[in-house]
Amino acid sequence: MNCEIARRMSEANDPALAQHQRSCPSCIVGAHARYYEAPPALEQKIRASLRREAAVAVPWRWIAIVASILLAVSAVWNFTLLRSRIAPRQLLAENVLSAHLRSLNGPHLLDVPSTDQHTVKPWFAGKLDFSPPVKELDGFPLLGGRIEYFEGHSAAALVYGRRAHIVNLFVWPSAVSTPESSQTHNGYQMRTWSASGMTFWAVSDLNPAELADFVALYRRN
Amino acid sequence: MAFDSARKLALFEQSVLPHLNAAYNLARWLTRSGPDAEDLVQEASLRAFRSFGTFQGQDARAWLLAIVRNTCFTFLKKRGDQPAIEFDEQAHSVADESPDAESALLHQAAVGSLNHCLEALPLEYREAIVLRELEELSYKEISEIARVPVGTVMSRLARARKRLQQCLEGALR
Repeated sequence: MNCEIARRMSEANDPALAQHQRSCPSCIVGAHARYYEAPPALEQKIRASLRREAAVAVPWRWIAIVASILLAVSAVWNFTLLRSRIAPRQLLAENVLSAHLRSLNGPHLLDVPSTDQHTVKPWFAGKLDFSPPVKELDGFPLLGGRIEYFEGHSAAALVYGRRAHIVNLFVWPSAVSTPESSQTHNGYQMRTWSASGMTFWAVSDLNPAELADFVALYRRN
Repeated sequence: MAFDSARKLALFEQSVLPHLNAAYNLARWLTRSGPDAEDLVQEASLRAFRSFGTFQGQDARAWLLAIVRNTCFTFLKKRGDQPAIEFDEQAHSVADESPDAESALLHQAAVGSLNHCLEALPLEYREAIVLRELEELSYKEISEIARVPVGTVMSRLARARKRLQQCLEGALR
């Protein structure tokens, strides 16, 4: 017999069923087995640990949100930095330096060996879609010129000398206008500037002051 | 936000904590140890609070008891208690209680050794009896808590009752 029914009927003072309730083992369990009540201290402990848990839960969630936002911002920032600054400028500087080093190591320093700007300049005329300003400079004799290739377009390389040193001056047309700046790469001096719709890069193993003189002289003439 | 968390805590304290006695009683019967039961109920309460988001307003007592039960079983298994039930065909086929046995069960001594007999039951039987007779849960609720079919709950209860009866009779002899 179902205990619960028996229990209810026993409550309704049915003696036969009260008898069942007392004799059926599971009814006895329900009626007489010990019911362990939670110690009062346990509830206090649990309430305290819940409060700790709830207090801890908040900052962690917010820390996680803030951290992921920071991470996203820094990722975008780095990406932008990489794309807008480091990639074009740094890569270009390295390309320019490579071109300078190649010209020194290989047989290909001069396509048109001439100290005369009126020989060098016309030589470029048939080979480039722009006309690089070829100048003769005091103290930096013009040695000649050749064609280079940077970032999908042709560039003029004007070659000047200074004692045993070589200065490569790369020129190509560019819409971007940047102020003059200098940097050092592996001990090589580089100066770049833009003027009249062209970008200039001067590279040499000269000391910084002499290269700055060279650039100042070139730009003044 | 802090508000969410405070509301969650208040809701939890209001709907789940009233069943702490049921939780402790179950843990106490399953582990047969007061200190273990305290630790496990505390652990289970924290677990329940963490997964309170998945609680969808069903019976909070049955929900909490399921978590307590799992916490206890995990603990007992880790400790090496084997919750194995040997199939007890003989206990299952014991004849219906005789009038003698009935009157014998009325004896005070039988009730006195009841707690001992209940503790001596195999874990799964004890679980079923405690949930059924002390918590008065339905077969369906017990089957959900113990994660077994209703039929298994019924046969466990039947075997548990037979064993209890035998144990009580033995205690009187």
